[in-house]
Amino acid sequence: MLEIKGLNITYGGPPVISGVDLRLDRGEALAVIGESGAGKTTLGLGVMGLVKGRCTGEIVFGGRNLLAMAEDERRRMRGRDMAMVFQNVDDALHPLYTALDQIVEAILTHRRLERAAARKRAEDLLRRVGLEGSRAAAYPHQLSGGERQRALIAMALANDPALLILDEPTASLDALTKGEITALIKGLIKDKAALVITHDISTAARLTGRMAVLYGGRIVECGPTAELLADPRHPYTRGLLRSYPYMAATKDLQGIPGRMERGVPGCPFHPRCTQKIDLCRRETPVPESNGGRLVACHRGGIVPLLEIKRLSVSFGPVRAVREAVITLHEGETLALVGKSGSGKTTLARAVMGLVPAGEGEIRLEGGKIDGSRDFYRKVQMVFQNPGESVSHRMNVLQAVGEPLDVQGIGNGEERLALVRRVLDEVELPSDDGFLKKYPHQLSGGEVQRVAIARALVLNPKVLIADEPTSALDASVQAKILKLLLNIQEKRGLAILLITHDIALARKVSDRIAVMLNGRIVEEGPAGRVLSSPRHGFTKKLVEAVLSKCPPTQPESQDSSLP
Amino acid sequence: MDRTGLLLNYAAALAIILVLNFAIPRLMPGDPLQAIYGDEAMIAMTPEMKEDIIRRFSLDMPPDRQFRAYIASLLRGDLGHSYYFNAPVAEVITGRLPWTALLAGLALVLSMAAGAFLGIESGYRRGRPADGVLLAGMMSLSGLPDFFAGILLLILFGVGLGLVPLAGAVTPYSGLGGMALFLDILHHLALPLASLVIVRISAVYLLTRNTMVLTMGAAFIRTARAKGCPEAAVRYRHAGRSSLLPVVTAAGLQLPHLITGTLFVEIVFSYPGIGTLLYNALLTRDYPLMQGVLLLVTVVVLGVNLMVDLLYRKIDPRVTHAY
Amino acid sequence: MHIDYWREVKKSGPGRAGLAAITAVAALAVLAPLFTGHQPGEYTGAIFHPPSREYWLGTNDVGQDIWTHLLYGARTSLAVGCGAAALSAIVSALVGGLAALSGGITDRVLMRLTDSLLVVPPIMVAILAAAYFRPGAALLVFLLAAVMWPGGARLVRSQALAAKERAHVAAARTFGAGRLYLLTRHIMPEIGPVIIAVLVMDARRAVFMEAGLSFLGVADPAVVSWGKMMQQALRFSYLDVWKWWLLPAGAALSLTVAGLAFTGFALETVLNPRLKERDR
Repeated sequence: MLEIKGLNITYGGPPVISGVDLRLDRGEALAVIGESGAGKTTLGLGVMGLVKGRCTGEIVFGGRNLLAMAEDERRRMRGRDMAMVFQNVDDALHPLYTALDQIVEAILTHRRLERAAARKRAEDLLRRVGLEGSRAAAYPHQLSGGERQRALIAMALANDPALLILDEPTASLDALTKGEITALIKGLIKDKAALVITHDISTAARLTGRMAVLYGGRIVECGPTAELLADPRHPYTRGLLRSYPYMAATKDLQGIPGRMERGVPGCPFHPRCTQKIDLCRRETPVPESNGGRLVACHRGGIVPLLEIKRLSVSFGPVRAVREAVITLHEGETLALVGKSGSGKTTLARAVMGLVPAGEGEIRLEGGKIDGSRDFYRKVQMVFQNPGESVSHRMNVLQAVGEPLDVQGIGNGEERLALVRRVLDEVELPSDDGFLKKYPHQLSGGEVQRVAIARALVLNPKVLIADEPTSALDASVQAKILKLLLNIQEKRGLAILLITHDIALARKVSDRIAVMLNGRIVEEGPAGRVLSSPRHGFTKKLVEAVLSKCPPTQPESQDSSLP
Repeated sequence: MDRTGLLLNYAAALAIILVLNFAIPRLMPGDPLQAIYGDEAMIAMTPEMKEDIIRRFSLDMPPDRQFRAYIASLLRGDLGHSYYFNAPVAEVITGRLPWTALLAGLALVLSMAAGAFLGIESGYRRGRPADGVLLAGMMSLSGLPDFFAGILLLILFGVGLGLVPLAGAVTPYSGLGGMALFLDILHHLALPLASLVIVRISAVYLLTRNTMVLTMGAAFIRTARAKGCPEAAVRYRHAGRSSLLPVVTAAGLQLPHLITGTLFVEIVFSYPGIGTLLYNALLTRDYPLMQGVLLLVTVVVLGVNLMVDLLYRKIDPRVTHAY
Repeated sequence: MHIDYWREVKKSGPGRAGLAAITAVAALAVLAPLFTGHQPGEYTGAIFHPPSREYWLGTNDVGQDIWTHLLYGARTSLAVGCGAAALSAIVSALVGGLAALSGGITDRVLMRLTDSLLVVPPIMVAILAAAYFRPGAALLVFLLAAVMWPGGARLVRSQALAAKERAHVAAARTFGAGRLYLLTRHIMPEIGPVIIAVLVMDARRAVFMEAGLSFLGVADPAVVSWGKMMQQALRFSYLDVWKWWLLPAGAALSLTVAGLAFTGFALETVLNPRLKERDR
């Protein structure tokens, strides 16, 4: 019913909307999400024909291109065929007319009706949205935020339009009111086409079946809401979801480095992207369809860095790892959980070439690994026991600088600078005194940080962390994990976290893989795996953790969220 | 501000005016009668008249008794005696008042209506050529003193082109009646009225335009457009109505300027209203007459301002309900 | 956000025009003796002399040089205007600032007084007092300031109250800043531009009222003033003298008032950023 083709909107400067394509059918609700300034509202206003800027491209509605129509014709369509529910800002309603009068006006603008009949209809509409009697005849300043939002909704419904555009319909409402308004809207848009513009992902999730992610005026990803939320493919979508505190997410909030810039050449997201390549700077990616999902990324979305395919490892007759399949994407944490002896560490060691892999293959960025030195520049490991993994004969400088020596990177001075920088990054002192310290002069947490610094000094893409905090106090463990997540946010580091602690995995991982007797028995988004485990063993693991801490309720699962 | 506070302000203002009117003449040297009436009146008035005035205003009593007598006489409508006209001040003023009321009233209505209309149109077209020209023109007008505007018009249309009479409100001894009298009055009124409107229009215009510009940026304008309201409805019913609210207040604020302007313009055109009366009183040092005119004008201004303040509460639902 | 008010005013068209007009009038006023060979009180003996090399704008009914009167009239206008404005602005700032900063009963009393005076038409009181006192320039300054200050006081109070509520003032208080520090470092910079705007608007009203009072003939007859020039010239409107007597005085007055008005508009626009043309 609504089809937007190659829409560009500019206010004279860099385009606010560029090359947007969207389709919306009757009975369908599409969410447009993104940060403020992404161009969401401009897009909505563009469809309504209310932007001051210049629109090019096509907006086909009911078979006709709106952009080719005369203004007066478009005006007559507004409020009749398409209507907008505005955000409930203070002056969204005219302060000098009652809510009822303003709806009557909306009706009479498009219909030849007796005033009394229009009034009757307006009252019915207000009753439908839950404003009755004196509330309907009140002036806007006498209404609460939720009531004003209801009035705005009733106004949009005045002439029963086929297309509804909702611009932040639940912003600035408290959680309960938000819930009520969302439920109200959900009922009202059933037989209409609805474009829901919001930065509120939970509202979008409850109202819509499809979702488009807007960044810098371009659609970077579009797909079914449930799938997109469970498995974001574009790095920006993932960043956006990680930043949003919704109840089904288990991982701690993470942001997106940098801030949105306008008019950047190439991919709009590349200044903030951790997996950008040269091409991203030069050319703008076009959205490409991939299994029902549109992703605009030169790299085809979040890239798989480390792919483990049907890997088996045997020690004589003992098959420690059996046909393990794991994919680790750029910038994500995959937790590999399981009992001790289930083959987790063996798997990690096989990847690192410490034990010979049997059958299957391991690929890094699509290429087969060959055991060369280059591999270790990209993949590093942190071991379980830092006291053992850091030689007690080396001081901090020597220990952290060791990979640089091995790889033959830089001269002494450059190495020193790199070491200092990485020590800063892991929040350790980098003064000469500290550089000269030996492991036994440091605490357990400090030694593990030294180990992490050593793993990061080569600026790897993948970090395999084998129980990196099991030897540490809970308070130190929390700090080290936060540190790793911060580095992940900044650099796009992919982390394969091996742990037996599913509660820990819950807070730090995007996905969880469960290993039992050398096999991966379950794998999926952390929220899903924990809330509805499919494998019996996973269930047992989750229940074991829950029973350990009786006073805590399980994270409430918002039923409407995927 | 609540209603009581408002009324209290106006009561205090009235009290201040009365005290000033009472006290300023009495600050002058000499006995109260001479101080109030001035030297010229002393010569012109008969001893019986002086006796009468001293009795009426208790001028031989201590100041507090004098003040009470002053207030009492005001309540009786007794503003004293004009030696120049040899008549009670109240009577002299009443005779001239209709002309001033006519001039000021028409000027107020016309300048408000035209200023508001132009302000709405201009603010709606903000940044376009029509707006720019109007804005520059109106700003220039705002620098024009009332009496100079009158003088310019007088010289141009009266002296230069001879289109309109140079003085007065009606042609003397013409014996006109009915329609002819009406046209004669209009003919005399045209220039003074035009001068006042030209000068006063700019303030209303500038205020309305500013408000209109701000209103056009409000979210409810977008809401109205999204409803499909025709642009005329957006401009007048939505933006215009909001922009008129401050204009109502402006009417009150404009009134003192307008009345002052009327006084000056009357002087320029020798229009027989209380402005010319005031001017004559100043020239002839007919102090009671001058005081009477000033007091009347001030009280009228206060009264109208009070009405505007009360009216504003009726028009803007936010004020009525918010307090 | 920091705004360089001075530069903003100079950037706007009306602001530039206004400042130019005021500067020109001020230069003529200050340097008056350089532009004329006559004294304002000097009787040349030539009555109603038309403009000539000797008398640029001719002479008046008693034979005084009109150009000289015009120049010295500028002195009166500006001196009275600026003096009254400065005095009035000081009173406004003191009353408004005191009311805002003290609050409580002081605030209530001061504002009740201000609000009452605000509805009293200033020119009426000025005429009444001037008619009796026949004020010279100095007394006129006091008189005009006395009737003008309430408007500014309201404005200063509301701005000071707003400034007091700003987050940076609250922040400074959390650092332990004292009242004097807050006043000088945070509140004064906020209301300084407002006081300047009040000053300009008051100057305009004062110039206007001075001209009006002398036009009515209630000012000191010995002071040379544009208003008085117009009053005198108007009596001879049947002669041709209005061309070089009445018009120049009126034009000079209009120019000065307009200059101050334009500067005021420009300041107002700068102080209310919502009025500014949005770039995009």
